[in-house]
Amino acid sequence: MGAYILKRLISAVPVLLGITIIVFLIMAMIPGDPATAILGSYATPENVEKLNRDLGLDQPLINRYFIWLGNMLTGDFGRSYSLNRPVLDEILDRFNATLILAGVSFVMCSVLGILAGVVSATRQYGFADKAITFIVLIGISVPSFFLGMMMILLFAVNLRLLPVSGMYAIYGGGDLPDLARHLIMPATALAVVATGVIARLSRSAMLEVLRQDYIRTARAKGVDERRVIMGHALRAAMVSIIPVLGIQAGFVLSGSVYIEIVFQWPGVGRMLVDAILKRDIILVQGGVVFVAGAYVFFNIVVDVAQSLLDPRIKT
Amino acid sequence: MKPFEWTRRSLFAAVAGVALAAGLGAPALAQTPPGVLVVGQIAEPKSLDPAAVTAVNDFRILVNLYEGLLRYQPGTLEVGPGLAESWDVSEDGTVYTFHLRDGVMFHDGTPFNAEAVKFNFDRMLNEDHPYHNTGPFPLAFYFSSIASTEVVDDLTVQITLNAPYAPFLSNLAYPTGLMVSPSAVMEHGADFGRNPAGTGPFKFAEWRSNEAVVIEKNPDYWGDPAGTDAVVFRPITDANTRVAEMLAGGIDLMVEVPPTALSEFQGESFSVVEQAGPHLWFLILNAKEGPFADKLVRQAANYAINKDAIVNDVLEGTAEVAAGPTPPAFTWAYDESLAPYPYDPDKARELIAEAGAEGAELTFYVTEGGSGMLDPIPMGTAIQADLNAVGFDVKIETYEWNTFLGEVNPGLEGKADMAEMAWMTNDPDTLPFLALRTAAWPDQGGFNSGYYSNPEVDALLEAAQTATDLDERAALYKEMQQIVHDDAPWVFVANWKQNAVTSDKVENLTLEPSFLLYLEDVVKN
Amino acid sequence: MTTFLKLLFRNRLAAVGAVVLAAILLLALITPILPLADPDVTATADRFQRPFSTGHLLGTDHLGRDLLSRLLWGTRLSLAVGIVAALVAATIGSGIGIVAGYFGGRTDNIIMRGVDMLMAFPYILLALAIVAALGPGLMNALIAVAAVNIPFFARNIRGVTVGLAGREFIDAARLAGMGHTRIILTELLPNVLSTIVIAMSTTVGWMILETAGLSFLGLGSQPPQADLGSMLGEARSALITNPHTSVVPGIMIFLIVMSINLLGDGVRDALDPRLRSGALTRPRAVTLVDRRGNVPHADQKGLLNIQQLETQFHVGPRVYRAVNKVSLHVNPGEALGVIGESGSGKSVTALSVMGLVASPPGVITGGAVRYEGEDLLAASYDSLRRKRGNNVAYIFQDPLSTLHPLYRVGDQLIEAIQAHHKVPDAEAKARAIELLKAVRIPNPESRIRNFPHEMSGGMRQRVGIAMALANDPDVIIADEPTTALDVTVQAQILSLLDDLRRERGLAIIFITHDFGVVAQLCDRVAVMYAGRIVEEGPTATILEHPAHPYTKRLMACVPELGGGKRELAAIPGLPPVVSDLPPGCAFAPRCTKATEACQQGEIDLAGTATHTVRCIHPEEELA
Repeated sequence: MGAYILKRLISAVPVLLGITIIVFLIMAMIPGDPATAILGSYATPENVEKLNRDLGLDQPLINRYFIWLGNMLTGDFGRSYSLNRPVLDEILDRFNATLILAGVSFVMCSVLGILAGVVSATRQYGFADKAITFIVLIGISVPSFFLGMMMILLFAVNLRLLPVSGMYAIYGGGDLPDLARHLIMPATALAVVATGVIARLSRSAMLEVLRQDYIRTARAKGVDERRVIMGHALRAAMVSIIPVLGIQAGFVLSGSVYIEIVFQWPGVGRMLVDAILKRDIILVQGGVVFVAGAYVFFNIVVDVAQSLLDPRIKT
Repeated sequence: MKPFEWTRRSLFAAVAGVALAAGLGAPALAQTPPGVLVVGQIAEPKSLDPAAVTAVNDFRILVNLYEGLLRYQPGTLEVGPGLAESWDVSEDGTVYTFHLRDGVMFHDGTPFNAEAVKFNFDRMLNEDHPYHNTGPFPLAFYFSSIASTEVVDDLTVQITLNAPYAPFLSNLAYPTGLMVSPSAVMEHGADFGRNPAGTGPFKFAEWRSNEAVVIEKNPDYWGDPAGTDAVVFRPITDANTRVAEMLAGGIDLMVEVPPTALSEFQGESFSVVEQAGPHLWFLILNAKEGPFADKLVRQAANYAINKDAIVNDVLEGTAEVAAGPTPPAFTWAYDESLAPYPYDPDKARELIAEAGAEGAELTFYVTEGGSGMLDPIPMGTAIQADLNAVGFDVKIETYEWNTFLGEVNPGLEGKADMAEMAWMTNDPDTLPFLALRTAAWPDQGGFNSGYYSNPEVDALLEAAQTATDLDERAALYKEMQQIVHDDAPWVFVANWKQNAVTSDKVENLTLEPSFLLYLEDVVKN
Repeated sequence: MTTFLKLLFRNRLAAVGAVVLAAILLLALITPILPLADPDVTATADRFQRPFSTGHLLGTDHLGRDLLSRLLWGTRLSLAVGIVAALVAATIGSGIGIVAGYFGGRTDNIIMRGVDMLMAFPYILLALAIVAALGPGLMNALIAVAAVNIPFFARNIRGVTVGLAGREFIDAARLAGMGHTRIILTELLPNVLSTIVIAMSTTVGWMILETAGLSFLGLGSQPPQADLGSMLGEARSALITNPHTSVVPGIMIFLIVMSINLLGDGVRDALDPRLRSGALTRPRAVTLVDRRGNVPHADQKGLLNIQQLETQFHVGPRVYRAVNKVSLHVNPGEALGVIGESGSGKSVTALSVMGLVASPPGVITGGAVRYEGEDLLAASYDSLRRKRGNNVAYIFQDPLSTLHPLYRVGDQLIEAIQAHHKVPDAEAKARAIELLKAVRIPNPESRIRNFPHEMSGGMRQRVGIAMALANDPDVIIADEPTTALDVTVQAQILSLLDDLRRERGLAIIFITHDFGVVAQLCDRVAVMYAGRIVEEGPTATILEHPAHPYTKRLMACVPELGGGKRELAAIPGLPPVVSDLPPGCAFAPRCTKATEACQQGEIDLAGTATHTVRCIHPEEELA
């Protein structure tokens, strides 16, 4: 198993490198440059040229890529010109926040989605099934930023139950309950779509599994139905649910961009949008390495979980 | 491995537990404490180094941490003493001598003196300065007219210019001219922007990335102490969220209220403050080619656009109709006799017919948002509809702000007939000088992206730039405004009134025409 | 096609989806001829009119434009964009997926690495960067949205293609000298098309949501053109003050996406052949019992007594009478054989005993199953569950599918024990080892740590038997336990069962289609055909004097040791479909002795107290 994980980790390296190249190329295609972005209305050609020189942007793109790559391999992610601070500092500040948001949201959508799928499957065509199906459909048909905004209006502005935005209270916060209060709305809004997708998939996976002979065997043994569902059936269904969890993790990570903007969550998704708009190629690169790295890493975790769950998979 | 042991019940219990702990465990939402003012900002500051930033958003924090040699007098755009108590200007307008305030200390405990002033300007302007690498300093060109800075004695500093430069004093009052502590720069180097030290009524406390910048009362301030113990600047980029925070009591003060949200703050618990400022929102017309090469068509565009509808309906009264190239906030330079082009579509059609430009196809660059651009897309759309109503065929192309600048600043030739633009300057000189002169065409490094050219205007502007007498400059600018108004190189649309909303716990907030946000007098109950 | 539509509309939700979507599509199509206000004319003084104000059914937006008109034009545009983007993404993505899956090896590896890269990059940022690079406009937003969806199609389709590429018909096509392009286009594509269509149907909705998301980030159609996303984006700044401007496009997006999803689900289900057979429904914990007639009175026959059992499958309007008035009993220590072809109802009879017939579609509609006199069909779930495995245990055919693939066999045994006896784990484990020993599995201590797939077929079957024995049941119902095994193993298993019943006094119901097996093990035998018992009697008697022509024909198929298996297909014709049984003897159409009388009226089981037959022209008269 250890060797397998190592192998997977090593094989992730070219993927990450490839991503940085793609990003560099796309960023190079985007018109406008950081100097224009910084100078705003004062971006005269003369000022732009001087500032670009100060920023070290007068070198050819390919040189800049390799300089960046070389520095990164030694742990130096460079200095962001739009934020005027080391990229790594900024990302570490923000990456936490994104991981907390996406992580909680992911746990929420996994647990609720699977639960809804299981209930829905075991009550197939019953009231619970129809109710869940309907709610799930609403969930996957509403843009998350719209939902987020509506939640703010209802729970924060009108009912004043929850804070509008941010990650911690500005004063008197900073502890876990404070974080939880700030997390409820963004994590929920972010989880909704993925919950719907996972619920639908779990439902069909459960239905598929519940028809299998080994479920009949379990019942014939006299195993309690709850255990048949939550043990035998769900476990077998997890084999097809887990890979989807891996994909959904990517969606949750991506979707956090909207949610971070709406809820002013100090995460890395929002930073990347700003960085793209400000042509801060170094910051984009650093952020993408982290986000993609998290995604790749998570998929390795998924594969390992899968192989632990299913002894038929050879690692 | 044993089959899963979790049951539905235990799962529900866990979910319910988390929800309870999180939701009900909350006390009534903490209001911001007295003495602490929470300000909703539109973005995270880039840096707290005044020489390194360009955004009004960042200036709002900086002017409370730092002071410059000069500052704008309350309620005006006229400069008055700041860290310099007085100053003399040589006859030829090239040598400025500043007499510094005595006993002023930087927040890091070092004294403010002539050496510090010299350090500040040299750091920005002198590429060989050991701390020039703490930049880049994008707005250093504000002071590019400085030839040298000399320390006369501890409290006297002499600045020599290359040539007379009328806006120099005004630029000193601009945030780029705020004085930073040399020892703090030496200590923190490139990270000075995150460890700022100035002389202002507030000193830096902490910067929690993307959450808040906190500044607190400077007990050793040389002037009147600040009215609050601390000010927290929260970056809230999404306008809706900012409004929601204001409504929910999460912030006490909010700037740049979206026009559509203003009606939410009509109640007793909020007050709205407004202040017209030196802002102009206009359309650059391509005077080099296409229909707008004809002055009649340019005038027609000015007549065709219903500017009242734009400022009152689209912008909900947060702006006033602009009459010409100079905002009325520059009281001394503004020509009161200038009247805005009236909304007269029939007149516009006549002019278009006269010019033979009926049905002309126009490409219109619109931005999605940007500094001072207000609500560019709805405004652009309304303008498009008005122009189409008089027989043009306008096609909008929208660009995100930085791309937009990348397209517009190099000139519209071959690409577009018109483009949105807005400027905020703290003197009446900069905008026309950079955007109306023939010598300011894009290929010569200016912002005259519409290629307007009128030798008369060029002469007036050159003269005004170097004249040192205020009355003389006023006369020159007023004449310029008349000509430009008639030539109509732009469509003059709106002058923004900066606004801010405060909760009823906030007192003494006044907005300045300079768009800077001085908070030292503000009280928070 | 009609069946497809019928199936589709049987799903009421899908029908709702189809109707809503059709209505929206129709509206979008006829928008240009509707008497609507110009969607682009502004009247800023009339901005933010509420819905149902005069002249503006849905109100106006921030520039006073008519929302209804903008909504319809916007819907038209958004649908077009969504569909085109889905088509583009599907075409390119599927192409990549098919090529990767078909060629495999290095090509596959390289392509999938590329796909991985794109997927690891947050798709919103990718779209954002693409739009930023290409410039503004709906067309470029479309390209971006399509581009970020390509990897998903590629991944999906590759998976399906890999499965297909190894199949015989592809090899055949290759051998026939077809080129790669032709194989891909004519052999592979038709087979993956339904997957593509299904993926697309869900993607269209997703695309519309995504374009809305992009316009949230400020990238989308150019003003004044309305699409749903940009309407939502423009209205966002007035969300608090004038929510209707957001809600109107929001609801339309919701309706479109939801109806597409509902319809997509319906299409997927309707295309799935298993749904047609009703197999995609979930079996309940106990077979549904819906006895219409009277419950037969208890007669004192046997330990387990099946009386007049009727089990049916209700699939749509059709009723399959899988078990039709079957009566059987078995005594302690006795082995009863139930024999018949596939589809004769013997397995369903067996599964009905403990309520294990998949339900839906199975329903027990009549009769009784008595264990020690108690009617199991009337028993509560809990009492039935306590008897399952404890009193009546099953051994199933094909243990690879009947053992849980993800649990070690030891754990499955332990679970069987602990389902009925609260014993500590260690004790249960010891018992499990003992059980494995009892079924003569070598090295049971290490074998209990095996997963089913790590064992041979014979070993697995022994595990199945061990599991049935776990709680020392009184009755074992063995449903073709040896069918999948080779002859030697089969003989071992049979002798094992025989020993067990002699040692433990087990009653065994042995279901098979193989008279050879019956001969070895069973005391009595019942022959089933088309859901009915056609002959029953002591094994020896029937073997020597089969009375029913069907029995005789079955016996002709007895395999001889070493002679390999002969299939029952030796009987000409096929067993009838039990949904549409002709009157009279169901075997008549295949019977050489059939007369007209055979196909009329009900034929009863008749004969002696021990040997009965359902035939009017028996091979041997039963005295």
